[in-house]
Order: sequence, then C-alpha cells, then structure tokens
Amino acid sequence: MNYTNQIMRIVSCFFLFLSLTLSSSLFANRGLEIALLSDKNNEGYGDSSSSMTMELISKKGDVVTRELRFKRLEVPEDGDKSIAVFESPRDVKGVAILSYAHKQEADDQWLYLPALKRVKRIASKNKSGPFLGSEFSFEDFSFQEVEKYEYEYVKEENYLGKDCFVIKRIPLDPYSGYTKQLVWIDKENYLVQKIHHFDRKAFHLKTQTFDGYKKYLGFFWQPHKIEMKNHQNGKSSILKFTEVSFKKGLTDKDFSQNSLKRSR
Amino acid sequence: MQSNAKYLSLFLISFFILPIKAEFIGEISLDNRHFFNDGALGQDNNHSSVSFSPEIFENLEDDRIFHFKAKLRDDNKDTERNLVDIQELYFIEIGESKEIKYGISKEFWGVTETSHRVDVINQTDTTESFDGEDKLGQPMIKVSLERNWGNIDLYALLGFRERTYSGDKGRLRLPVLIDTDSPIYESSAKNKRTDFAIRWSHYFDEFEVALSHFSGTSREPRLMPSTKKLNHLTPYYEKINQTGLEALYLIGGLALKLEAIRRSGQGDTFSAATTGFEYTQVGIADSRIDLGWILEANHDDRLSSSPFVVGTRLTFNDSYDSQILSGMFINEKTEEIGMLIEASRRIASCCMISLEAMYFDDTNEDNGEFKLFEPFREDDFMRIEFIYYFGE
Repeated sequence: MNYTNQIMRIVSCFFLFLSLTLSSSLFANRGLEIALLSDKNNEGYGDSSSSMTMELISKKGDVVTRELRFKRLEVPEDGDKSIAVFESPRDVKGVAILSYAHKQEADDQWLYLPALKRVKRIASKNKSGPFLGSEFSFEDFSFQEVEKYEYEYVKEENYLGKDCFVIKRIPLDPYSGYTKQLVWIDKENYLVQKIHHFDRKAFHLKTQTFDGYKKYLGFFWQPHKIEMKNHQNGKSSILKFTEVSFKKGLTDKDFSQNSLKRSR
Repeated sequence: MQSNAKYLSLFLISFFILPIKAEFIGEISLDNRHFFNDGALGQDNNHSSVSFSPEIFENLEDDRIFHFKAKLRDDNKDTERNLVDIQELYFIEIGESKEIKYGISKEFWGVTETSHRVDVINQTDTTESFDGEDKLGQPMIKVSLERNWGNIDLYALLGFRERTYSGDKGRLRLPVLIDTDSPIYESSAKNKRTDFAIRWSHYFDEFEVALSHFSGTSREPRLMPSTKKLNHLTPYYEKINQTGLEALYLIGGLALKLEAIRRSGQGDTFSAATTGFEYTQVGIADSRIDLGWILEANHDDRLSSSPFVVGTRLTFNDSYDSQILSGMFINEKTEEIGMLIEASRRIASCCMISLEAMYFDDTNEDNGEFKLFEPFREDDFMRIEFIYYFGE
C-alpha cells in the first residue's frame, strides 16, 4: 500500500466523520423529524375528491351552514393542485378557487366569479384573512408544506387518551397570520390531532382539532371533522367531510383555468 | 326580440330532451331607483323593475356540460329597459387539453376593475347599470386549447347583438334619444355577420399576460344624427380591428394592472388604456375586516381628458358576507367628480340586499371642456335591490 492511498483513506475517513456529525446535528432537530414523518401521511394519495359542510357557530350558538366541494391532485416534487367550489349559500354558488401550492415560493391562486364569468388572479399572500367568513383562514386551508416552517421539539403529552409529541413550528412566510403553532401529533400513526395557533401578538388565538380519522387506500388517513375555535371572539367553525373518494383518475387538465370555469 | 323568441323555443325543446336530474335554480330581483331630482327631460323620480333569471346547469357526462341561463326584466317606467335575453345556452365538449363550446354565452376578458377596454365579445346592456358590466348573450363557437406555452381561445361569433339604451322615460340617458329601431351597419351582412377573435393568455409565476385580437362589428357604436327621426341619434356599428393587451403583476399583496387597446375602423385609429393597482390590507386594526384599495387611471385618444378612479372595498368577513364598495371618479381637466357607494349583505341563505348611491358633482360652471357627466347632472340616485335565490 503506498503513501497516496493512505492519505486518501484518511481524507475519506475525515469526510465520513464530517458527514456523520452533520447529519446527526440535522436529526438533532427532533421537531423536524416528527414533522417529516407526519408529512409522509400526505403522500401517495394520487387525487382526492370530497364534499364538505362548514358550520359557522356564533358566540350565542347560532349555526349557519356552507357547502363546498374540494378536488386535490398530488404533484410529485412540488405542492399540490386543488380546486374548491362553493355550493351554498346560493349567492356564492359556483364561486371557485384554483390553487397551485409550491414548496418554496408563494402559491399561485385564481378566483372564478361566475356572475361576471371572470377568472381573477389573487395574491396568495393575503392568506391570513378569514375563509368564507369562518374562523379558518385561507392559510389553514392551504397545504402546509414542511419546507414552509421551522421546527422545535417541545414535549410529549397525552391528548384524549393518545400519546402525542408536541412540536412547535414557526411559519417562515412573513405574510402568515401566525407567529407560532403548537402541533400535537400522535405517536402511533403520526397524525395531527390538535394545533394551537398564536397570532402576531403571540396570543393563543385559535385551537384546531382533528377528529374521525379514517384510513383509505389501505394507508391514507383522512380526518372527517376539523374544528376551529376562536378564543378571542368565542366563535367556532366545524368542517365536516360528507363524502371522500380517492384515485378517481384526475389529471392536470382537471386543474386548469378552463376547468376552473366549468368546475360547478 | 324575434331571434330571442327563436332561442327560447330552442331552449324549451332542449329542456324536454334533457334528463330531469338537471340542476334547476334561479333568482328573482326587485329593484327600486330613487332619483333625488326631476329628470332634465321631465322623467319620473321613482323607477322600479323586477328581474327573473332561471338557470339550468348539468354535467351530461364526464366530458359534456350543458348550461342555460335567461334574464327577463320588466321596468315600470322605461319600456327600453324591458329585456328578454338568453345569457347562456351552450354545450361544452371537453377533450384532452382542449374544449369546444357552442351556443350562446358570455366571455370576460380583462384585469382592471373600473373599466373594461379589452372585453369585446359580448354586447353591453347599458340599461341595467352604469358600470357597463352587464352583458347580453352572444352566439358563438369557441375552441380552447391548453398548451404549456399558454392557453389559446379561438372564437367565431355568429351574428350581432345591438346595444341597449334607455328610452324616452328612462333616467341616466343622453338628452337626445337613440333610435335603436334603425341601427346602421357598415357590413352588408348587417347583424348577421360572423366575427372572429383570438386570445392567448399565459402566466409566468407572478406575471399574467394576455394578447387578443378582434375583427368584426364594433360592440360600441358611434352615434350619428338620425336621418329618419328628428332629434334622434342612430347607432352606427362599424367594422373594426382591435388588438388588446392585458397584464397583471403581483408584488406581495399588490397587484399592478394594465389593459390597453388599439382600434382601427372607427374614424382615426386610436389607442386607449387603463392602468393602476389593487392592494388589500388584511385585517385592518386587528379586526377581521379587509380593506382593499383601487387606483386606476384612464387614457383614451378620443378624449381630451384622462380621468382616474380611486376606490375602496371593505370586506367584513362575517357570516353575511357584508361589504361596502366606494369609488370616486375624478376628471381634473373638466373639473368633474362622480361618487359611488355600494353596500351589500346576505339576509338569510336565500337572499341578498344591496344599496347603491351615485352622485354626480354639478356645481362647476362651464369651463369650456366637454363634460362627460353633463347629461346626468340631475340623475343622482339611490338604489335598493333585493335578490331572492331559489333552487338548491
């Protein structure tokens, strides 16, 4: 064995050591690790179509109901494509939103107004506003790509009989309405159970809970009831999935601007 | 009217051959406009109208859609404001990255909010409202192609619809009546001419762009002194070529917009443009109310003045979808100001109510400029509209 080879071995050992330290410091972020495992649950569904109702509950307990349909397409290597179509109340029937989510840059969004037959590009950065007058914001409705947050591991806690990890995530988008979120993820299936949303003044503004997880396609977990409670105004909104189906063979052409116009 | 009756009977036939699972919905609207002053030409101060819009929408198969929508309006003062119009009566055949639409329909082109210069497919119903956003159905065949370099829409527009104008007893009209019974066409085919249009639209991240060209009879007529009726104007519909550009660029929450056209065939070739921005402040003063700002400037080679419009939109984000829109039209050169305020909210899941008020500043004396609002100086009004939606 000559001298050069020996040098090479030492050098490569050094790089191996270096990469090991680097990756272990990467995995030292246990929060991110949990978030990545939880995000695995959003993969492989292909496409989904669902019908849902949204109940807006006032402080006094009065309920008004909205109905919408939602189609979603998984886009490998990028964010998902989706179309939300409003069914009721009647004056917004046929209004639809087309979104192309992206992992890094801002999402592309278009709004279709059937009365004017107009497709209008909208600023996806206005994401902190309420969605359809509910306690959900546009942000809560869009896909929460792992890349768009910074993570920190907080603790373990039992939530409704489930052993959960609690992680903290900080939105990297300056246009987010939240300064931080605490996320409860169960240890068994890595499903999001609860989120505490903290507003720009770091006040615990809203609590979001996820219920009725059902398994589709043998691996994909879909919640059937998502509730958002606003602690500031006492109102809450409940999203109920009345119909969910997967892999109906939707393709890019079902998420084009032309399909947005005919989506009702 | 005659061609409308033909289309209506066509619709009735199609209604019977369609499966009955079709979605049948509609709206009824009651509307009253109160004008604060007597009309400059002795017209009444209170005008009411009722409108009825039945609608049928159906996905016939996975790749075929049928849509029908009619609009019927009856006005208690101005017979020229009565309307029977098929707004939509079309089929869409959906193919792989393409679709074909045939029948009567409405198509919108444009990006700006306060004027729509590029939008040229449909005729405007000027009697419905002042903003020019109400359109009449246009018979067409449209082919849309989706490519990775953008969308292409090709149109053959079959036949022509005349613009509606308020009549003798109507308000918000010119001092001289428009003889809508005997329009003049440059084309020997008159209102039977087939017009053509093409539009390419695409987007690059935050930038949206569209280029279009229209070749056919102008939707906007020139008004000529009538040779048939004394003291009347006759709409003169000329053949035009119009190229249009639409652009929109998003910077954060700010949308910069431009619409420009170049039109030949109506006297001298001219250009016109509208440009400006829209910006939304989300959750003003820690509330859930959004405040949107709109500023748009206008240029038109045919006018000596370049008016601009400042507007705000308050969106309350409540369960009633309450909103208040206000706008101010300012024409520095002619010293004219117009103001509009519009408020609307849902009352129950079936109904909406809206209030609208318009004011034309008329305190300025003659400054030698051609005043755009001069004919409407007595037409300040308040409008209340109630809409009832039926069907699920």
